[in-house]
Amino acid sequence: MTGAERRRSRWVGGMALACGLSLMLSACGGDSAAPSAGDGEAGGDAKIGVVIKGLDNPFFQHMEDGIEAAAEDSGVEYTIQAAASITDTSGQADKLSNLANQDYDCYVVNPISGTNLVQGIAQIAAKDKTIVNIDNPVEAEAAKAADATIATYIGTDNLAAGKMVADQLATLAPEGGDVATVGGVAGDVTSAQRIDGFKEGLSQDFTVVQEVAADWNRQEAQTQAETILRANPELAAFFVANDDMAMGVARAVAAADRKGETLVVSVDGIDGVASGDIDAAVAQYPFVVGKMGMQACEAAAAGHELPAKVDTPIELITPENAKEAQEAFPEPPSDYENPFADLLEG
Amino acid sequence: MSESMDLLEIRNLSLSFGSVRALSDVSLHVKAGEITAIVGDNGAGKSTIVRCVAGVHRPDEGDIVFDGQVVNFVRPDQARVAGIETVHQNLALVEDLTVWQNLFLNREISHGVGPVRFLQKKEMRKRARDMVAKLAVNVPSVTSTVRRLSGGQRQAVAICRAAGFSSKLVIMDEPTAALGVQETRRVEELIERLRSEGHAVLLISHNFDQVMRLSDQVWVMRAGKCVAGRRARDTTAQEIVGLITGAIAA
Amino acid sequence: MTATESVGERVRVTLTRPTFWVEWASVVGLVLLVVLFTALDSTFLSAGNIRGMLLASAILTILVVGQAFVILTAGIDLSVASVMTFAAVMFGLAMTHGYGILLSCLVAFCAGAAVGLLNGVLVAKGRITDFIVTLGALSAASGTALILSDGKPITVISAPLFELSAGSVGVVPYTFMIALLIAVLAHVVLFKTKFGTHVLATGGSVEAAQATGIRTTRIKIAVYAISGSLAGIAAILLVARVGSAEPAANMTFLLNSVAAVVLGGVSLFGGKGSIKGPIFGALLLTALSNGLTLLGVSQFYQPLAVGVVVVGAAFLTRFDK
Ligand SMILES: Nc1ncnc2c1ncn2[C@@H]1O[C@H](COP(=O)(O)OP(=O)(O)O)[C@@H](O)[C@H]1O
Ligand SMILES: [Mg+2]
Repeated sequence: MTGAERRRSRWVGGMALACGLSLMLSACGGDSAAPSAGDGEAGGDAKIGVVIKGLDNPFFQHMEDGIEAAAEDSGVEYTIQAAASITDTSGQADKLSNLANQDYDCYVVNPISGTNLVQGIAQIAAKDKTIVNIDNPVEAEAAKAADATIATYIGTDNLAAGKMVADQLATLAPEGGDVATVGGVAGDVTSAQRIDGFKEGLSQDFTVVQEVAADWNRQEAQTQAETILRANPELAAFFVANDDMAMGVARAVAAADRKGETLVVSVDGIDGVASGDIDAAVAQYPFVVGKMGMQACEAAAAGHELPAKVDTPIELITPENAKEAQEAFPEPPSDYENPFADLLEG
Repeated sequence: MSESMDLLEIRNLSLSFGSVRALSDVSLHVKAGEITAIVGDNGAGKSTIVRCVAGVHRPDEGDIVFDGQVVNFVRPDQARVAGIETVHQNLALVEDLTVWQNLFLNREISHGVGPVRFLQKKEMRKRARDMVAKLAVNVPSVTSTVRRLSGGQRQAVAICRAAGFSSKLVIMDEPTAALGVQETRRVEELIERLRSEGHAVLLISHNFDQVMRLSDQVWVMRAGKCVAGRRARDTTAQEIVGLITGAIAA
Repeated sequence: MTATESVGERVRVTLTRPTFWVEWASVVGLVLLVVLFTALDSTFLSAGNIRGMLLASAILTILVVGQAFVILTAGIDLSVASVMTFAAVMFGLAMTHGYGILLSCLVAFCAGAAVGLLNGVLVAKGRITDFIVTLGALSAASGTALILSDGKPITVISAPLFELSAGSVGVVPYTFMIALLIAVLAHVVLFKTKFGTHVLATGGSVEAAQATGIRTTRIKIAVYAISGSLAGIAAILLVARVGSAEPAANMTFLLNSVAAVVLGGVSLFGGKGSIKGPIFGALLLTALSNGLTLLGVSQFYQPLAVGVVVVGAAFLTRFDK
């Protein structure tokens, strides 16, 4: 016990130093939890190291919020590190390696690519600590190479989200027609999965006439959509891979006087549906992904067996339930299964 | 005027670049209406003197007296306003600008209010043609870019710029070093014409023959010091060479 | 020699002069692209599409003018896209704090100008390489934009802004008119004023410019300030266009601004070039992206096409001596 206490005080000291340093640059509170909060509560004995993707995107900011919310609930100690940007694969790897050298009981990782964190994961596996993988899966091959077992994978199914959008499109426009897809950065995995899911789910009545990449950028999406509308004035719908770009596309549709005729459907975009700019969206809940990641660690620390794979909820957002969804955000409007919460309670 | 006045007087000038003492305690003078030469080996400090007088460098110590007044030029345009024009060793022409733009560089004829100055291109082109014609230099056209001119033509443009603006003193730093025989002769004619038009000329040169032929007064520099001054008619090329190399003590 | 002969001779001389192809590469390239795309897709030259291209090129055009000034002094401004993002966020914040549209525009302009000025002072007085200074500004401006906006888009709803972004006279959108006005002003400043000559002289040869007493430090500070100010103006158009201030910088704008200037025949060594060349370069890049999208060319080929065009243009400048 004394050893653990000493370790803890060293850790607290380190955090205080880190806070002091980072205060000069930015607020410290966002980067780490107050270690004093509720020691000894459920899960309070586990120390969790978290490495997530860059915070330059609302999706990951919500994920971070979920992590913080879960930690606040249980009072667990944790440190969170984020990559500098969505392309900072090596920087993220360095961050995990640093944490792996320190003494955490459980690690939550959201790798930028399927393989970039493999070294840190190998270090953690060698110390026999728990690894919880959220959002972007660690490649099975890479995990094997690192001699690591991923305790659980918690993520949101992008393919399923895309598919669900396609189903809703079939309901909104039963007569079918031409559609165009607007993706993020060309070659981005998340974007590709959403679009693949959408195309898979698309009924025979629809034809994809054009696929463009708009770099997750609203202005770029708007410009591309305008051009597409001129080439295909009778376009039935746009499928857009995120909410921000969907707002740009909606502007292009309005400017071309096609509102209501060319539908805009997207992954994410509750606010856009609520404001009437987007016709339908499927919302993902990164907040829940982050929350469950932390709860998984706590459950593991409490000695529970974890389920191998958990899909977080996705929710179809229509004008009818958009208000409700807005109010419930960042949680889904309806109840969902949370196996980790059940484990912790049970 | 029997014995002409000193137009420029340099008193005890010193300048170091870091640890390199480029000038130490240099004193010399230039009389109005004369061609005064400075000779010396490479690195003796000739160009540095020129740049001090032209307002490019500021001396560490010493005074520059021009036209009876101690001057303290901070920038080259102040020297130009005072009446000192310089043809630098590297000519200081902008290759991608035209001949007329170079002739009027930082002396553009313009109209407008406050800092908004619109160029009077027509006027400048016309005057540029006049300047070139007056010196009878063979520049193809004032609207061609300097990049397309030969070495001699560039030298002519640079001299033209120095001579064209009612200057009292024209300084030329090795004006013929890079030129052929033909072009050298043209430039020498130009220098003599400047003197006959009343400009004082300070000529830096390596060519003793040229110095002896053109100049009225010769200053000899060695290793940052001005070691001797001679009237040209009282000396010989051999003596000058001896002074430069140090074989003859000053 | 008769008049017609002399005209014919002059045309021949002009066409065989390599500098002609450097100066006019962007115009020739644009014409070729227009012919090609029109042949492949008749909607390319439709009024609607022309309007769309002009609309899409307005922001880039303004950035390109600033970049051209900087490159003409042999510098480079890598921070344009980030400064625009920073100014856009400042604009968004000013609007949400109820500053009103005019004051908010002023805030955006000043934000851009301030960063530009800082760039200029560091490059000219601090004697730090332009590349490093503006690279630092790129990062710092992006970071500040993220901090100020908390990483979230700031929605800006304003009727006059919407009118600005949506309105046009015939096929010419208001925003493009603003860009064109700025371009014309820039051309006048560069070629009809004393300041412009001094910019060219500073870029052509710093020593020569200094030897005639031109204060090259001031000129350098001025061009970076111009570039920053124009990024501030571009930020207003950007917010007007998308209806929000986005905190993430779009680096395509940076790459395209440099590419357009090079396409437009401005020498990266400074001292030589025009404003109209880069403007046509910006139009060319916009037309290229527009045409490829119209034709349904896969997204993967677009960056490749831009790369080929830019390197092709740089190749032309090799013959320029
Ligand atoms: N800007 C400078 N920085 C450092 N050293 C210089 C500079 N200009 C000249 N020097 C040095 O000062 C000395 C005199 O140079 P200079 O006046 O150019 O000689 P020259 O008589 O050949 O014209 C040389 O040793 C030269 O290397
Ligand atoms: Mg010299």
